[in-house]
Amino acid sequence: MSSKLWAFVVPIVSVIIALLISSIVIVLIGQNPIVAYTALFRGAFGSKLAIASVVIKSTPLILTGLAVGFGFRAGLFNIGAEGQMVMGAMIGTAFAINVAWMPAVFAIPLTMVVGMIAGAGYAAIAGFLKAKTGAHEVVTTIMLNWIAEYLSSYVVTVPMGVGFGTPKSPEIANSTKLPPLITVQATELTSGIIVAIIAAIVIYIILEKTTKGYELKGTGFNPYAAEYGGIKISQNIVLAMAISGALAGLAGTLEVMGVHHRFLGTLSGGKGFDGISIALIGQNHPIGIIFAALLMGSLRTGSNEMQFAGVPKHIILIVQAIIIFLVAADRIVRTMFIRKKKVKVS
Amino acid sequence: MRKVLVAILLVAAVVFALGFKVIMVTDVGGLGDKSFNDGTWEGALRAAKEIGAEAQVIQSYEQADYIPNLTKAAQQADVVFAVGFMMTDALFKVAKQFPNTYFVGIDITPPEGQTLPNVVCYIFKEEQAGFYAGYIAAAMTSTGKIGFVGGIPIPPVERFRYGFEVGARIYSTLHKKKVEILRGYTNDFEDPKKGKDLTLAQYAQGADIVFLAAGACGNGGIEAAKEKMVALVGSDKLVDIIDYYTKNKKGYFAIGVDVDQDYMAPGVVLCSATKGISSAGYYGVKAAWEGTFEGGLKILGIKEDGAGVSPMKYTKGMIPNIVIAELEYLTKLIKDGKIVIPDTEDKLKAFQVPSITFPF
Repeated sequence: MSSKLWAFVVPIVSVIIALLISSIVIVLIGQNPIVAYTALFRGAFGSKLAIASVVIKSTPLILTGLAVGFGFRAGLFNIGAEGQMVMGAMIGTAFAINVAWMPAVFAIPLTMVVGMIAGAGYAAIAGFLKAKTGAHEVVTTIMLNWIAEYLSSYVVTVPMGVGFGTPKSPEIANSTKLPPLITVQATELTSGIIVAIIAAIVIYIILEKTTKGYELKGTGFNPYAAEYGGIKISQNIVLAMAISGALAGLAGTLEVMGVHHRFLGTLSGGKGFDGISIALIGQNHPIGIIFAALLMGSLRTGSNEMQFAGVPKHIILIVQAIIIFLVAADRIVRTMFIRKKKVKVS
Repeated sequence: MRKVLVAILLVAAVVFALGFKVIMVTDVGGLGDKSFNDGTWEGALRAAKEIGAEAQVIQSYEQADYIPNLTKAAQQADVVFAVGFMMTDALFKVAKQFPNTYFVGIDITPPEGQTLPNVVCYIFKEEQAGFYAGYIAAAMTSTGKIGFVGGIPIPPVERFRYGFEVGARIYSTLHKKKVEILRGYTNDFEDPKKGKDLTLAQYAQGADIVFLAAGACGNGGIEAAKEKMVALVGSDKLVDIIDYYTKNKKGYFAIGVDVDQDYMAPGVVLCSATKGISSAGYYGVKAAWEGTFEGGLKILGIKEDGAGVSPMKYTKGMIPNIVIAELEYLTKLIKDGKIVIPDTEDKLKAFQVPSITFPF
């Protein structure tokens, strides 16, 4: 089978196997898997509201998936998408609150740019540390996540906090709110999805059609060879981290502009980490990541409906874990397969 | 004729009851937090059983789930519960779309100027419950240091702290005992690990009693207290703990929150500062069923059974009777409004311990 075909077959087969294995768990807890999966399907695609929810949930996942996937392609394991997303959302919000005077045509793109710069700058710290001191990005980005989390919960309770109850910032200016594509009752399907898809296409072009993309991939494949070939490694590490962070920052900003309309302390909800699994399922390919994110989004939205069938939401975490396991395990199998062939040839 | 009428009414009631449905939407903490999600569910379930209604729960993963989940619930249910301050915005957005469905917000304050006739919000005077925790902790500490572990410093958590600090201050003034308070926040309500770490840190700084106002995070704090206590006593049996305490007058304790958590580690959880969450859940359903539903904000305190302290089933033997008696007397003063426990930071700073003479 060609590698392109594999890339499609593996995730699809994984999903089917995962659903089959999970159905055993559902039987074990005394429920009917067919009823549960019907509810799952209905909850994800059964109504306008369901589809809108799937798209809303998938939008940030596409972007964090792209962030992590892009990092992987350049040989960087960016675990910091979570923190970069929070920073993007927070600084984007600070900007968006104060630009009520600006017409939407400028305010919307500018807010996105500010959020992207915030995420990029934050990620570049880890990139810079790696390039200059060799500090591993896994460690530094994890640390930066904590800084972002606690900084944001301070910001949202003290300097930017408003009202009673939830720690939250004031609403962003109307001119910076993303226009909804469709409104179903209280749910607004945001136009953020369009931005996310454009971002995926842009990343695809950068990676596949530009010299810089080639350099970044080269750095990822084999830094020593790339350096020998005249590619400036340290510069590329910082750049790759910055682009990855910009995507995560955009994810956060779009959540604010399209969904919550204000900054909340617990806004990210682990979506930065979800980016890792989505990048893996999407095989680090920008278009694959869009589908992986939609899969994740529909599983999660559907799982809310599944609760009505008496199946706890956690089942979907099992499904997710098995999919990831199979996709990752498949890589092991394939690597072994390729190695064996090479051994035979030599 | 009358009999027929009664029969018709009965049939109608049964048919109506079959159609009556209660759905509770949890916040990200979810069921099993042994705190306000569980508390509301218990109350709602009790009321639903009484009237023969159907009750269901939907758990949310993340903030973005609140609106879709509440919408889904409102499409199917007669009464929808939104649990937790984090759902404030979502609750009011959705409730506006479904004027014929009743909504009950637990631990939710309506946003400024927003009241809807179909939304009732219950909040609690946490400061009054926190007062008990502070008073008992100050009375029982052997190191002179007590700790406060909060979740995210949102108003309900902070009100617990104000009460806790005032309770300790009243005890230390009345009994001339020096008590120092350590404060910390986990910035989280879900991860028990964070509660455990912070509690252990406060023990390391010399505290021996820690009040855990941090939702499911607090469960980790109770675990920490249990570990320390077991290491000290050499057994986790209640008898051994009581024996050790009576002999040595020291130990490591936790104070639970929201619901009676004393059972989670008998003898180690000194008491729990409780909120009347389950009664709010109960009254919410009953009011909708009986047609006495009234929108607005209801604040429940000691007087309304909305705040209090657990019965201290396991630890009554360790806490001196005089402390219990003093608390009884102080409860009366709070009920009568003679002592007002501060509910804001400013009031806390300005709080002066009034001169109290016990009648015994």
